[in-house]
Amino acid sequence: MRPDRKGPAGRHWLGRREVGIGVVLVGLAMLPFADLEVSTHDPWRHVSRFLAGFLSPDFNSIRSIAWAVVYTVAFGLVGVFIGSLAGLLLAPAYHLRPVRILAATLRAVHELFWALLFLQVFGPSAITGALAIALPYSGIFAKVYSEMLEEADRRPDEVLPPGSGALSRFLYARLPMALSPFRIYTRYRIECGLRSSAVLGFVGLPTLGFELDAFFKVGRYESVAAVLLIYYLMIATNRQWLRPSLIPVFLVAAFGLLITLGGPPFRMENLVRFLTEDIVPAPLRDASLLASSTWDQLSGWLDVLLSTQAFPGLWSTVVVTQMALAVTMFVALLGFPLIVARLVGKVPSISGHLLLVVGRSTPEYMLVYIFLQMLGPSMLPAIIALGLHNGAIIAHLLGRQADALTPTLRPDAPRGFNLYVYEFVPRLYGNFLAYIFYRWEIILRESAIVGILGVHTLGFYIDGAITEIRLDRAVLLIAVTVLATFAVDAIARGLRRRFQLSMNDLASREGSAIY
Amino acid sequence: MTTNSDRPRRHLAALAVAAVMSAALATGGPAMAQPTLSFSAIPNQDETHLLERFNKVAAYLQKELGVPVKYVPVKSYSAAVTAFKNNHIQLAWFGGLTGVQARLAVPGSVAIAQGIEDTAFVTYFIAHSSTGLSAKPTLGDDVKGKTFTFGSKGSTSGRLMPEFYLREIFKTDPEKVFSRVGFSGDHTKTLDLVSSGAYQIGALDFTVYEAALKAGKVDTKAVTVIWKTPPYPDYNWSIRGDVDKTFGPGFIKKVQDALVKMNDPELLATFPRTKFIPAANKDYQPVEDTAHLLNLIDG
Amino acid sequence: MTLLSLAGETIGWKEHDVLVGVDLSIQEGETIAFLGRSGSGKSTLITHLYRRLIAAGRATALVPQDHALVPPLSVFHNVYMGRLDRRSSLYNFANLVRPLRREVAAIRPILAEIALEPEMFRPVERLSGGQKQRTAIARALFRGGDILLGDEPISAIDEKQSAVVLDTIRRRFSTVLLALHDVDLARAYCSRIIGLRGGRIVIDKPSGKIERGEIEALYAA
Repeated sequence: MRPDRKGPAGRHWLGRREVGIGVVLVGLAMLPFADLEVSTHDPWRHVSRFLAGFLSPDFNSIRSIAWAVVYTVAFGLVGVFIGSLAGLLLAPAYHLRPVRILAATLRAVHELFWALLFLQVFGPSAITGALAIALPYSGIFAKVYSEMLEEADRRPDEVLPPGSGALSRFLYARLPMALSPFRIYTRYRIECGLRSSAVLGFVGLPTLGFELDAFFKVGRYESVAAVLLIYYLMIATNRQWLRPSLIPVFLVAAFGLLITLGGPPFRMENLVRFLTEDIVPAPLRDASLLASSTWDQLSGWLDVLLSTQAFPGLWSTVVVTQMALAVTMFVALLGFPLIVARLVGKVPSISGHLLLVVGRSTPEYMLVYIFLQMLGPSMLPAIIALGLHNGAIIAHLLGRQADALTPTLRPDAPRGFNLYVYEFVPRLYGNFLAYIFYRWEIILRESAIVGILGVHTLGFYIDGAITEIRLDRAVLLIAVTVLATFAVDAIARGLRRRFQLSMNDLASREGSAIY
Repeated sequence: MTTNSDRPRRHLAALAVAAVMSAALATGGPAMAQPTLSFSAIPNQDETHLLERFNKVAAYLQKELGVPVKYVPVKSYSAAVTAFKNNHIQLAWFGGLTGVQARLAVPGSVAIAQGIEDTAFVTYFIAHSSTGLSAKPTLGDDVKGKTFTFGSKGSTSGRLMPEFYLREIFKTDPEKVFSRVGFSGDHTKTLDLVSSGAYQIGALDFTVYEAALKAGKVDTKAVTVIWKTPPYPDYNWSIRGDVDKTFGPGFIKKVQDALVKMNDPELLATFPRTKFIPAANKDYQPVEDTAHLLNLIDG
Repeated sequence: MTLLSLAGETIGWKEHDVLVGVDLSIQEGETIAFLGRSGSGKSTLITHLYRRLIAAGRATALVPQDHALVPPLSVFHNVYMGRLDRRSSLYNFANLVRPLRREVAAIRPILAEIALEPEMFRPVERLSGGQKQRTAIARALFRGGDILLGDEPISAIDEKQSAVVLDTIRRRFSTVLLALHDVDLARAYCSRIIGLRGGRIVIDKPSGKIERGEIEALYAA
């Protein structure tokens, strides 16, 4: 059901414009708490070496890079496939509260965190990589599929003979009606799966991130450039070679490849130990649950963990999130005109597209990693990278809508900057804000995850707990991340409702690309 | 263009194949006939060529032990411990701290060998020349306010012992001594970061530093050693207690002997050590105590 | 025997009442045409009658105005949906994955009768408007029963086809209630004509006794 409309937004004491400015102000208010130092001795040397690498990329390691591409595709496809099947099973039951909570939890945990957990049980194996993608994706699929089912035409279902079984009704009259948006969305998700898969290399799976990390560590920027160029080529051309009709073939090949990947054997006892010992808080392990001393120890354990890790980590995560969100807004607003031919001209808009493609198709983790190498470990590279990545995604969506608006402009519409400020920005502002609030929880999740790279957000402490082989702590800290994601999601949903920011008026493909 | 009528059928065929394959994937593929001894080493330095070098070590062990031996590369210190814990590897070249973590996680496992160098291991504190710091008998107040990097969070020489001594000397958290505290990930990276000035001071494994120096890979104009810690026990070969069940009684002793009599300089340079000598769990009690003190292990 | 009777009923579509004070009695075996301008309340009446008959447990088939087909599925599957209640979910699923020989054999003659057999395994989304409409009719024919309700079931079909379709319908169902726009067809095939205007029944006569002028008045502005 749609919420009651509360009349024009202007009647609130706070309008849409104020809320946008408010988000920027919150970002600015974080400045005193943010660690923005450029700690590299000579950042320009690193930047120039990195850029120089692109002038003479070194393809000598092409064999290992090629294999990494193959594994990136394999893990991406298998992960998305399993995730979409699971999402499809959950979607019809999505109206049930437990299913909704399950799906929200699955997607609130970033695939890298899933990977870190599964590595503890399955090692760097096919199962780890496939599940790390499949689990969060199943949560996303469940949500989006259920929305699509909700929106699909119900007439065929209504005229079915009374007494038809629920499953038959679903398979014959509900599912086929949503198949077309499913297909478009799933295809979009496959591309996301390729990106996620590449990033899993950073934690040890044999995908492109592994190669990138290895070359960066030894400072071979020419090889780094080669890996990145091949990565962009893979993403940019994926719709050409990964054709819908070929996907089943690719999928079978991917399963075959992953089965032969080798890796450590699966041992049931590891899974049992992980679930019954490793993630149980240390004070409760082998302790009498009736003794009050056990519970005292538990509260002490919690106290230390929360005060020295969870809260400081959460605060840093929020600081990075809010500042990155503000940067995202600037990048999106300043970036979208770059791809609007009416504003910048036909030829420049093509290079604008290229710029935004690089920004949005480079996974945020990879982008932060690259910026960290050059600027040193502070919040600065994380904020810039997250802002650029998310800003480029929104700029791309806005730019396409601006293009679609162009033919509807009046013949005597202003040109250039005036056109931008008088026509495009006001018309697109509602969607812009909606996107910002949709991206908010995603940026929070990303801010948490980049802690693994050394920024002191939640991921830093989670990685630390895993290094100390204290999975109980890691799981608790991940739970804190999940709760933070839920909180931000609830606030964002409230704001969207209050300011009537929905994407219902957008084509499903455009709208769903925001998740 | 494909006709729509055959689409559901083909999807279904792919689905069926994929389902079968998922099942195969879940069972872990074909089982191995003969038990293989898998071993690993913590990735404490430059990861390139690791495979090549350790495969030679695997070949040596296979010859000496008469069972298939496989080297399994790992991405991080904790991944080595986890693999040991999960019985994905049975033997590992651990650091002091990772060895303690691993043996605590697998009851019955034992430390069987260490390098001669490991009985009295040392951490070097190095500084970028722009700081103007020079070698002293202890760390002074002039390091305060500088930026500082450890190695891996799970490293003995790169984290545990330097943190221990920093706390002992300054009586406070490293975060309060330095303006910024980071974790480079490994010793080679620490050397790089201090050489480039990304961090002003760093702490690293002395064998890695000395090996880099010998290979001419240290920019001595940019980096100086400013302090050497007192000695402590470090790296060790540890093995799971249940290997005797898999490979026959006396297997642990056989592995120990094979390691101790390894004398090919090329193999030893992989670690880099001059010779391995027998070791026992109790040799690492000081490391365990320190880890408790810094609250890096439970119990 | 009386099949259904309404006495002074108000039939609403959501909050908005469309038909008021409807007095109507329908006998088993009748063939009735409902005539009237669009918006006169024909669809509402047909839908209402369908619900009443279903609630009364009568075997009733429906051809809705919007067809309510599932475009990505084949003609065969859309027609099969007419009997989705007769079989277990497992059987239905198997038939969805791969059309079962037995169901194909049952559906093929129905499609042959209305010249749709060549399109049997084509997805409905690739059919012409007339073919879609005939698919919806075939679904109702396959469903079977005593009564057929059709809301403009032949609006997109040419004259010759329409005659065939109406013949088939009349042969297979004992009671037929159709909303029609073609007055001549209505007079030719139906025994009784009910005219609607502004949400009221204004004509209710055997088709033989109806005057041309009465019908013209029905459609007048």
